[in-house]
Order: sequence, then C-alpha cells, then structure tokens
Amino acid sequence: MEKQKIRYCPPDWAARWLLWFCHPDFAEDILGDLEEEYQSHEPAANKLMADFWFVRQVAGMMRPSLMRPFLPFLQLNNKMDMIKNYIKIGLRNLLKYRVGTGINLLGLSTGMAAFILIALFVKDELSYDRHHEHADEIFRVTIENFSGDGETLSRQWAFASAGHAKRLKQDFSQVTHAVRFFPWAFPDVIYGDKRLPGEQVVFADPEVFDVFTSPFLAGSASTAFANETSMVISEAAAIRIFGNDWREQDIIGKNVKIEAQGNAMSLAITGVMADMPRQQHFHFEYFVPFSIYENVVNNPQVTDNVSGNYNFLTYVRLADKDAAAAVEAGGPAFFDKHIGDIRGLPAHQYYGLVLQPLKDIHLTSNLSGEIENNGSLSQVVIFSVIGLLLIVVACINYMNLATSRYTRRMKEIGVRKSIGATKGSLIGQFVTESVLVTVISFPLAIGLAAMAMPYINDFMDKQLSINFLQDFSLFAGVVVLLALVALVAGLYPAIYLSSLDTISSLKGEATFRTGKVNFRSVLVTFQYVVTVGIIFSLAVVNAQMGYIFNSDPGFQKERILDVSLSRDIYAKKETFKNELLANGSIESATFVSRIPTGALLDNQGASIFLGDSLTPINFRLPYITVDEDFISTYGIEMVAGQNFEKYMDSDSIGYYIVNETAAKQLGFPQTQEAIAKNMAYGGVNGSIVGVVKDFHFESLHSPIGPMLIAKSDNYRRISIKLSSVNIQETISFIETTWASFDSKNPINYRFVDEAFENQYQSEERLSIMFKVFAVLAILISCLGMLGMVTFVVERKTKEIGIRKVLGAKSPHIMWLVSRGFLWLIGIACLVSLPIGYYLMSNWLSTFAYQISISPMLFLVPVLAVVLITWATILYRIVKAVYINPVKYLRSE
Amino acid sequence: MSNYQLGEFEEVVLLTVAILDADAYGVSIKQEMEGRLKRSVSTGAMQTALRRMENKGYLKSEFGESTAIRGGKRKRYFKITPYGVKALEYYKETRMSLWQAIPGTVLDLKS
Repeated sequence: MEKQKIRYCPPDWAARWLLWFCHPDFAEDILGDLEEEYQSHEPAANKLMADFWFVRQVAGMMRPSLMRPFLPFLQLNNKMDMIKNYIKIGLRNLLKYRVGTGINLLGLSTGMAAFILIALFVKDELSYDRHHEHADEIFRVTIENFSGDGETLSRQWAFASAGHAKRLKQDFSQVTHAVRFFPWAFPDVIYGDKRLPGEQVVFADPEVFDVFTSPFLAGSASTAFANETSMVISEAAAIRIFGNDWREQDIIGKNVKIEAQGNAMSLAITGVMADMPRQQHFHFEYFVPFSIYENVVNNPQVTDNVSGNYNFLTYVRLADKDAAAAVEAGGPAFFDKHIGDIRGLPAHQYYGLVLQPLKDIHLTSNLSGEIENNGSLSQVVIFSVIGLLLIVVACINYMNLATSRYTRRMKEIGVRKSIGATKGSLIGQFVTESVLVTVISFPLAIGLAAMAMPYINDFMDKQLSINFLQDFSLFAGVVVLLALVALVAGLYPAIYLSSLDTISSLKGEATFRTGKVNFRSVLVTFQYVVTVGIIFSLAVVNAQMGYIFNSDPGFQKERILDVSLSRDIYAKKETFKNELLANGSIESATFVSRIPTGALLDNQGASIFLGDSLTPINFRLPYITVDEDFISTYGIEMVAGQNFEKYMDSDSIGYYIVNETAAKQLGFPQTQEAIAKNMAYGGVNGSIVGVVKDFHFESLHSPIGPMLIAKSDNYRRISIKLSSVNIQETISFIETTWASFDSKNPINYRFVDEAFENQYQSEERLSIMFKVFAVLAILISCLGMLGMVTFVVERKTKEIGIRKVLGAKSPHIMWLVSRGFLWLIGIACLVSLPIGYYLMSNWLSTFAYQISISPMLFLVPVLAVVLITWATILYRIVKAVYINPVKYLRSE
Repeated sequence: MSNYQLGEFEEVVLLTVAILDADAYGVSIKQEMEGRLKRSVSTGAMQTALRRMENKGYLKSEFGESTAIRGGKRKRYFKITPYGVKALEYYKETRMSLWQAIPGTVLDLKS
C-alpha cells in the first residue's frame, strides 16, 4: 500500500462525539476507518470541506445498531411503537388545547430567546483578550497617584510614563518583556496619490509581538521591526491603502509616507497582521518603531521620564503569572529609586504601581484614560442571573399550565392505567409532550432572538450573531438547554399526573388535598419573587435616574452650547467672542478649559500661605481655567469675595476662585477668611479672589471635592448661552460665524445638558434593560398565573356553584379565589424585597448622591403584582361566576 | 422458507468481504464496493450491515494492526464464516432457480 501523508487533523469534537455515542466495541475501528478515509478522501480539497465530510460521516453513524445502549428505549426496539404513540397523542393534545399550547409556546420561546441572547452577550464579554498565547502572563502597568500621604488615591491611570517599561524590565528579573504604545499620533498616511487623513499610527516597542500574539498574513513577526523605518499594518489598513487586491501587489517592502504637522517620513511595510479581534481591549492598525517617536520628539523629558505624562500604554510579560505580586511589592522601591524625593517626601508616597492581569482588563478595569470603553463585570453578573431566572420562570410556567390541565386529562390517565399503563410509561408520555413543546418553541425562540439581535447589537455596541456552523459550543449549549428545559418542565407534571389514583380519576373526582403547602405553590411563589424583585429594581433605578436628572447640579446646564476651539479660532478668540455676543439671541459666552461634566485635571504643585509660612496642600485640588464670564454664564453662586475681572490676566500672577469645600479644607471654615490669601498653584503665585458655592463639576457618582478655578489663558472651548427663542437660528448663526473665522475645520458642538446626561449612559442602559426584563418577566409570569388561576377555578367549580346557590355574591367569590394568591404574594414579597433592597443599596452606593429607598418604592412592585394577579383572576373567573351554577352542579 | 435472512445490501457486503478474503476491513470493503458497484456507499449503512451480520453469525472479526494514518487505531478485519458461505450459496441457488424458471421468450425482450 502506498504511503499516505497526514494532511490535516479531523475536528476533535466530532471524534469525541463518535466515541461518546458509538458502542465501545465498535468505536475504535470505525473511528480509525473514518480517519484513514479522511486523510485520503479525494473531494476534500481543503480542510473545511474535509472536516465537513468527516462530521457528516460521524453523524451518519448515529444508528441504533451501532450505538451504545444509553437510553432504555434505544435498547428495546419494541418500545419504538409506544414512542410513536406518545408523539401522536402528544401532538393531538397540543392541537386540542390550542390556547394552552399557544401560551406555553409563547412563554417558553420568549424565555429561551432571552436566555440565548444573554448567553451570547455574556460569552462575548467573557472572551476578551483570551486569544493571546501568553495571556496569563501579560499585565498592564497602571500608575496610582497619591496626595503625598501614600494613601489617599487621587487617580489610577491606565497609562504609564514613557520611562517605566524599560526600567521595570531592568529592575525586575521576573519581567521578561515590556512594551509601550504611544497611540496619540494621528498623522496622514500617504501612498502614491492616496492620502488617508488622521490615521492612528501607534509607536510601539519592537517586543510588541513577543507579548501579544498576532497572526501575520504577510511578512512575519520576527522581521516586523527589522529596522527603524519599518511599519506593520493590519489587513483593514492594507485594504484602505492598497485596495482589496493588496495580496496580489506584493506590498512587503513598499514605501508609505506618514505626515504630521509638516514632518513627513517614509516607511517600508514589513508585515501585514490579521485585524485585531473585536474581543480585545485595544485595536490598533499601524505599528511603527518607538524609536521614530524618540527621534522626532528628541526630548528625554518626554520619551524617558518616570513621573507624570501618562500617555504610554505599557504592558509587561512576566516569567510566570504568580510573579505579579512580587513586582507590585517592589513598586515603592522602584519609584524611590528612579524619582527620588518630591517636596521632601519619598516618591512612593505620591506614586503606586499596580499590574492588571490582561484577561481582567475588559471586565473590571475602569481607570482614568482607558483606551477604549470597557465592559462591566456587574452587568455580566446581573444579566446572567436574570437570564437564568427568566428561563426558570418559563419552565415553571410550563409546569403550572401542564398540571392545571389535569382535570381534562384525568379520564385519559384513568383509562390508560386501568388497561395496564405503568407509571413509567405515563411519565414517558408526559415527558414526550414537554419535549414536543420545547422542540416546537425552539425555532420560535431562535427566530425571536434573531429578530431582537440587531437591536441588541446596536444598543450594546456588539456584533453578536447566531451561527451554529461556526460555533459548535453554542450548538451544544443550545441542545443541552433544550434537553434541560424539556426535562425540568416536563418531569414534574409527569410525576404529578401519573400518580393520580386510578379509580377516582376515572370517576372524575379531584383527588388533591387543598390548603396544604404543595410544590406548585412554591413554584408560583418563586415566580412572584422574581417578578417582584425585577419590578422593584426597575423602580429603584428609575427613581435614582430621575433624581440625578432633576437634581440641581449647582449650575445652569440648559441652553448652553459647548464648542471646542480650533487653532485658527483660538488665535482670534476675543474677536470671535465679540462677534457672537453681537447677536441678541446669545446671552453670554465664556472661554473654559473644560465644561462641568467630565473628570477634572490635577495639578499637584499647590501650596498656600497660612500666616507667614508656605504650606504644601496635601489633598487633591484639581482645576479648570476660565475667563471672567464663566460664573455668570453658568449661573454659579458666589458666597464670598468677587468674580474675576477682565484685567486679571497675567501669566505671572495667579487669580483663583475656590469652591466652599476647598476653602474649608484649606482651613477657612468662614469662607470670607479665604479671600486675599496668597497661594501658589502649578508654579504660579497668586491669591484667592473669591469663593463659590459648591457645584457638581463631576458626575454625581463622586462627592463634590475641593476644586480651583483659575483665570488663565489656557482655554480649549467656549460655552455659549443661548436665549430660549430661535435656538435653531442662533445655532446656524454660530456656524456661519465660525466659518468666517475658520473655513478649514468644521464646527464641533454639543449641548451641555446632553453631555451631562451622557455621564450616566451605562445607568441609562441598565434602566432600559431592566424595563425589557420587567416586561418579559411580567409577560411570562402572567401566562403562568393564567394557568394557575384556571387550575384553582376548575378545582373550585363545584364549591363556587354551591356558594352561589346559597346566595354568595360575586365579590365574595372573587375573594375566595384570590385569597390564596395574596398569601403567596405576601410570602414572595417577604423573600424578594429584602434581597432586592440589599442588591439595590449596593448599586446605589456607587453614587455619592443617592435617593433613600422609600416605602413607596416597596409599594410599587407589590401593588403591580397584586393588580396583575387580580386582572388575571378576573379574566378567568368571570365565566365561573356568571354562568348558571346548575350547569356545574349537574355534572354528578 | 429459508433459515437465512439477508437483505440485498447485506448480501453485497458479504460478497465483498468474501472477495477481499484476508484484507477485508472498513475502508477496503467500502472502496471495493464503490469500485465494483459504481456508486457511493454510505459508511454508516455498511458498518451497520457488518455488525448485524456478525451478530447473525455470517461474519467473524478480529483486530488487526494500527497505522499512523488511522490516528493509531486498530483495523477490524472481517472474515466470512462457513455459515456465511452457506447463506451466500443458498441465495445464489435460489436466484439461479428463479432465473431458470423464466421462459426464454421473456429474456428475448431486452435488445
């Protein structure tokens, strides 16, 4: 026989699948045969085709005579007829009770659809940064800033200083590789006549590909940074520069120019890497050697400093992942060695070193200056829990509906039992029915999920998709889910129904003791617990959001337009402002460095004269710079001293306004005392001219801290207060004025109140998601309730009839039926509300300014659930109450 | 009524095993059948037929050598049993007697 070559390996999961179902006596040689044929199979031109062939063959082996005997009915062929009968009877029953079947299908498919979507989302969130070969050993270097006492954390930066990477590698033997990224250059990329403006070209240390795994489509990682004019681009960038047929153009070695602020430089393409997967916490498309940046800047203060200037995303690869603690422990000594003393204090009282494990960054890191928006672990946990709850609630629904139909099935069960059906075969029949319902609801669930997918992707900013061919684990997961749902939902009704007493069920008597705590009540209570909990959470989230949006931030945020200044406008900014103010619809305008919504900038070198001595300020005192119109434009209240004057404009003398908190922390409980005190800030000596009332400069997540407002010409933007009339016209006036000053750059503006609300985007998202979940939970549990009420009403039919005959009124009967449910709701609230209270207090504690959870908030879910229950009962009971009781009572 | 129960497909598989004599294992049987019958054979159906005939006693099997190309798994060689030979002969004779019973004029109909 000719010697054959081993070309590819067949998919491992398919082989394991075969070994799992195939009879152990046959498995070895059949698998061997398939693998032999797989290697030599001629139509298998490529691996995908060959794998497809292999999987088809394995699937073709699923024949009873080749399978291991793992299900009793596979062993016994004569059971096949019985199973066919189960399916037939099951289908007939489903068709017979169309409404009940419809409710079941709706409940199950909605629950499953929600679960599948949530599972996809969670899986995607959990898969970030897992694909790097050394993912476990990679850590991001983050720097903590302390207020000089080594404890009070003022900031933790996602970026490090330029000099850290090299020194970490030198000082710590555990650090085998270190790489810096400088991602803040946006030069134009030029190839031939093609110019791509403002591409994010990242300056990276040559070790980048030893740290991060990146497959190369052309060139290789080892030669990527062969010399100082190398450039590695991603496939997307290659397509942008060279077009879709870049593979045919042999682009390795081709020269591409980058140009920024008049400096141009020619670089040679040395490699094309695959696009970075979406599940990565940064996405770069161009890498060029860091040395280029060093040469262009030509200033070690910038490219090799060890304190401040946190612009360099830095990662280290350690020899093993447990070494991180040792490196962090060496942090204080590291800073003391390289920075030395700062204002008489050792550097480690100002700086701290924290290594973040790569895999944790996406879900747990939310530091200052993250390169991209990260996910949130709590969101993932909340969603997972809710997904599970929804599917459990859907299963409970099925159980309730299936058992509530028992009165209709009693005779059938009686007949079956009397002609010899065993308990097992009855269970088999009912489980078959639940399997049927699950199997039918599954395509509905997939359809619903697929329909909701675009909205979810849009809303969560994801690119999820349901693709079973590409994602076997998804397929397997869904099959397991189906089986579990069918079993969990079907088993209880099956056992319950099959244990009915034969004779009394033939007689048509209800044989269940009433008034005892039974399993079904527990199920319904659980449903109530989930519904009450979700409605309660929704109420709290809504109340907190309402509080934030309606609370007075201490300044006026309405009708203020925030425009960032271009270079050209900045040069003529006073004229620009005056021309704007000439328009009657513009009430005022002010130049500012930042607007009151974002995080503030720090300046660490502050000190104040107390008495005669200059005392360093040892708390975080961040600042903004504004002109004299800031206080009036934003409607901020002065409590002492005066506003800035136009003349207060000097680079050598500082004029400062502080807020009340700052005044107090500086040692002036009477704000008036702070006026005219000398202080130095950012190296400029000056004095405090005024004190303003505290206002919320940053979001309501953090308490109002001390802050300083300086009059200094360091503006980036202008805030324009519009009058309430003709807003649209005023904006177009501003646009024309802008164009007359700067024709090259388009105007870039937003409203301050929008920016204000944007700070709470993730909370907004949470609140919308809760609304969706609340609607789903209410929908599903309403359906369950309907089943439950049907059950009770059917059971109490005769009782209702007799009571009516004896003169009971309808409200009384209503009370009779709902009494039991009110008990369950009461118990559910006792369980649900404390849990909800605990969880929501935790959530609220992320806000510095929070609502207290008032009794009203507890009342809302309780009332909602009671009303929904009553509505359901009313709907079902009307029939029983208004039909002539003779009809019921005659049935015996 | 005969004591031998053999489907049409099973008969072909049994014949092929007999043809291959000492070299009859999964892949070779399949290739031989495809070559001779000029149609594709489902591996699943063939394996089912082999195991059923082994159960019925027409075939016996034993493990053979393993090769790298098979991922180190052993081959299972099938061999026809005397009982299997008898079954084949019985089917052949039945067919022959049926053939011989066809009147000559009917056979002339082809052309």
